[in-house]
Amino acid sequence: MDVNFRKIDIDAYDEDVISEGELYEADPRDPGQVLEDAKAKAAAVRSSLSKGDMAGALGTILDSPPFGANVEDAKNLTLQTVVTVLNSTKSADIPNVVKSLTPEAQDTLMKYLYKGMAMPGWGDVSGSVLLGWHEKLTDVAGTGCIVRAMTDHRLV
Amino acid sequence: MSNVLRPYLAAVRSTLTAALTLENFASQVVERHNQPEVEVGKSKEVLLNPMIISRNENERVLIEPSVNSIRLSIKIKQADEIERILCKKFTRFMMQRAENFIVLRRKPVKGYDISFLITNTQTETMLKHKIVDFIIQFMEDVDREISEMKLSLNARARTVAESYLIAFNP
Repeated sequence: MDVNFRKIDIDAYDEDVISEGELYEADPRDPGQVLEDAKAKAAAVRSSLSKGDMAGALGTILDSPPFGANVEDAKNLTLQTVVTVLNSTKSADIPNVVKSLTPEAQDTLMKYLYKGMAMPGWGDVSGSVLLGWHEKLTDVAGTGCIVRAMTDHRLV
Repeated sequence: MSNVLRPYLAAVRSTLTAALTLENFASQVVERHNQPEVEVGKSKEVLLNPMIISRNENERVLIEPSVNSIRLSIKIKQADEIERILCKKFTRFMMQRAENFIVLRRKPVKGYDISFLITNTQTETMLKHKIVDFIIQFMEDVDREISEMKLSLNARARTVAESYLIAFNP
């Protein structure tokens, strides 16, 4: 007797089955627009960095980050820019920079810290820099910030 | 605790504390079952984003939270062949006695050396901060344990070689 029917995942045919896209609201911008935005922000961050305005640079890049599917280029560019800002901030300035961010920006920064730690050796990601930022950010924003980064399905 | 290890363990501690907010949650797929959702993985909406905390390529911790259970996997530092063997033997020894450690998982997640599975029953019967302390203590000890074993292994090998080769040196 053919028993392969047992391997069919019948729950996938349930009428109220949830799909990946239903876990979060999709970005209203289209992928090309998102990439343009990311490029514009990366340029703005470079000019802020040359002026030495770390808080401004971080605030700019963490505002409405790319998320969801089909925007891999914009995600990589944004992560690259965030890592550049993080690496070029002096460790004594970190608490003040973190305090100057809005709560939304702090949550987004936490997401990028975890994303950076998940890919060690990518670009100029450095584990010790990210761990230093993580510690300072947790001091300021608390455990709730980590929980929000954990529960938000809008992956950056 | 060494100063380089501290931020790493602090990050693991805060992430684990954040993840350990578990509640009793019956399976949505099978009636009258109560399974750790992170192991079953059948309902996407109760799984949270997995978090990786890494010091470098060879040392990282994966925390997979869900509504009623979390899974924490550790990749232990293995610099050379001896450390790799010692680490394998050590984790195997622990995992064969997994029920004595309660939160230990019998098999590690792929790509990691040792895994822990904490369910809501365990957070209800044990103190949450003690569980976190246990995991952090384990991470602190395991590195030290393996480097100590490596030292004593080398010392012993040297003694054995000396007493063996003394026969050729009258």
